Amino acid sequence: MTATLLKLAFAGLRARLLATTLTIVIGAAAAATLVIALEVRATGVDPWQRTFDAAHGAHVLMTSSSLADAQAVARLPGVAERDDPVPSALGQSTIGGHAEPVILAGLGTRPTINVPVRIDGATQPGAGVVLERSFADAMHIGVGSMIAVAAPTGTVRLTVVGTAISPSQARYPRSNPGVGWVSRDTLQRIQPDQQRWSWSEAVRLTDPATAPRFAEAAAAALPPAPDGGRTIVSWQDQRDVALMDSQPIIVVVGMFTILLLTVVFAVIGILTAARVAAQYRDIGLLKAIGLTPRQVSAVFLGEAGALGLAAVLVGYPVGAVLAPRLAAPSAQTLVGSPTIAIQPWHALVASAIVVPVLLLSAYLAVRRTTRSTTLGAMLAGVPLPVTSGRIARLIGRVRLPLTAALGVRDLLARRRRTFWTATAVAVTGTVIVATLQMRAAIDHPAGTVTDVPNELSALVYSLDVVLIVIAVTSLVAVMLLSVRERLRDLGVLKAIGLTPHQITSSLVSANALLSAAAGLLSIPLGIGLYLAVLNMTNGTTRGAVFAPWWHVALIPFAVPAVVAAATSLPARVAAAIPVNQAIRYE
Amino acid sequence: MTPVLEARALAKTYVSGGAHVRALDGVDMTVERGEFVAIMGPSGCGKSTLLNLLAGFDRPSTGEVWLGGQRIDGLSEAALARLRRRRIGFVFQFFNLLPTLSVRENVELPLLLAGKHRRAARRTASILLDELGIAERRNTAPALLSGGQQQRVALARAMANSPDVVLADEPTGNLDSDATRAVMELLGRARGRGQTLLLVTHDARVAAAADRIVRLRDGRIVADGRLEPARSVPDLLDLGGDT
Repeated sequence: MTATLLKLAFAGLRARLLATTLTIVIGAAAAATLVIALEVRATGVDPWQRTFDAAHGAHVLMTSSSLADAQAVARLPGVAERDDPVPSALGQSTIGGHAEPVILAGLGTRPTINVPVRIDGATQPGAGVVLERSFADAMHIGVGSMIAVAAPTGTVRLTVVGTAISPSQARYPRSNPGVGWVSRDTLQRIQPDQQRWSWSEAVRLTDPATAPRFAEAAAAALPPAPDGGRTIVSWQDQRDVALMDSQPIIVVVGMFTILLLTVVFAVIGILTAARVAAQYRDIGLLKAIGLTPRQVSAVFLGEAGALGLAAVLVGYPVGAVLAPRLAAPSAQTLVGSPTIAIQPWHALVASAIVVPVLLLSAYLAVRRTTRSTTLGAMLAGVPLPVTSGRIARLIGRVRLPLTAALGVRDLLARRRRTFWTATAVAVTGTVIVATLQMRAAIDHPAGTVTDVPNELSALVYSLDVVLIVIAVTSLVAVMLLSVRERLRDLGVLKAIGLTPHQITSSLVSANALLSAAAGLLSIPLGIGLYLAVLNMTNGTTRGAVFAPWWHVALIPFAVPAVVAAATSLPARVAAAIPVNQAIRYE
Repeated sequence: MTPVLEARALAKTYVSGGAHVRALDGVDMTVERGEFVAIMGPSGCGKSTLLNLLAGFDRPSTGEVWLGGQRIDGLSEAALARLRRRRIGFVFQFFNLLPTLSVRENVELPLLLAGKHRRAARRTASILLDELGIAERRNTAPALLSGGQQQRVALARAMANSPDVVLADEPTGNLDSDATRAVMELLGRARGRGQTLLLVTHDARVAAAADRIVRLRDGRIVADGRLEPARSVPDLLDLGGDT
């Protein structure tokens, strides 16, 4: 029996190839979105850990104006490894004609803990300077460039011999001034007065987990610093500070993931329900030949499961290919490598979400029909005209052109489908409105100082493109299916005298009217969603920045325009099908 | 008599699975105004193909179709649609009523398409439905009607604009004898109003109501003969119960 049910399931998939293909495409979009979210999120954590490991990072890092403090920390119990204290001094550099303060750290010949991790060029500064990567990027300089640093004896010119990152150095300009590493001799030349040096002591502990307690104990053990110029930070603190830059990216990716999945799952629900609805008669026939409701459900769940797995198989590679491209700008803001390792288990996570959503959609769609009588199931797919009720009366009063009235009557007769189509459009509009608010929140006039990393805009733009592609694909899919379902009726309309142009107008105008209403609804919903997400991420909606009203006011026009375009092509194709072929369509 | 409908060397070839199937092979036929013609023949002989070509539902591979002195096989889809509104009514075997419109709205639609005012269209539809004996079901969904009732609505829709020609593809093929009798009565009334009827049927008793029977075989006309006039349609259709 199982083999027979499977055979029936696959026969159903083959028989409705368009719906099958569309469901796989949209399911694949969901899987790809999940994979991208997981991979990009991984860039927020993994690179810091990798950087820390590569740098042989300090479990505790103390900076003080006193060399004695540094030496005292290194002698405290619990220290497993220590390095020589590293001196640093503030210099005034000139880079590309601009004066820019810079902290110069004088490295010893063989640093062993908290070693700068090379990104480009040389590891050791020699007679030049190795600049921290985000600082070099912000200054638009690279290996081979020259910077001038003021010194008592005159200007010292240093060649940038490399760029590096450090797990204890947050991104410039959040951590300002920027950092450069020079040799001890160079530091001596730039700042000969050692009273103006600071000292850093990097230690590793026998038990890294005790770093916060060690830091507290060290602060208590040392004599009070008269100038307050002493900091003792654990590796956990370093990580939190470093990841502050990636936090907005994780929040943005998280928000987009939720928004994209909302659109995609709404559309999956519609497509699955449409597929089942198109097979109501088949359900009745299956019951008529002796299948139990459970077996009928099994056939449809088998179909949905197969579609879900196919969607993940298609979506995972797409997500895996796109993720590094989206992660690269976000990884720039981290103290880590922009490369990320693709995790095969993310495919399992995507399957664990996409497949159950499809199964649930199919179950809910098929449940009603399997519970009805066999005859009821066979009649369940027949749309019935709306001749009474408030909406019908309202439509009757509004003098719409005949073609538009026909389209609207059809939408009203297929209320369930119309509800879900409107939901898909409203969800899409809602997401776009919320995105516009987000964009307004992160946009800032050129040249102004902002805490938002520049790369965040690139990421949001990339995700905007992904969102729009998925939203438009979803709308086209829904409209294509909707037109396909009506082929037979369209043939009849042609037979009684509607021209192809009138048929296209009927479909386009009705869907455009529906989507205009849904677009209007999406404005308050989108602003509400934005405020809800803001509240979730910031704990408050105070200080919310909103998009200019004319951006939002475009939505009730832009959404119907996209829907009209999405409906127009399949409608034209359908209207061109000869009557004798169209009326044979089941 | 003026020919209202004419097929000249009409041929239609379909390509199916790489093979060319000749559904209609050089059919010449003239139908005079007010004539009632029955087309008969075994399944697959090309009856429905001929009717589809005459209605402009499909394009012939070769040959010509003329309606009221106008060649129509080369017209655009839009022009054909406009032509059908006023001059051709079509009745399908499986009714093909629009499920999202009520019975009355199905009948009103061709009238509105032809440019009739909404109120006038409603009045005409009501009269037609009353004549057909289904006025009380005017606000019902087509799916909730019996086959015979649906076919009566389909007939009302086809005749709403009093077209020159009514083409019917096995209009009684799915009906019991009572419903068949009712449908044939309606067709007889249309004929009485001077409308031209062209009907595809397998049923010899239905065909017997026609003025003329055209027999097709393998896409060709093999017989074309007139029947003696006189008997009324109900007499001919004294079917004696279900068949």
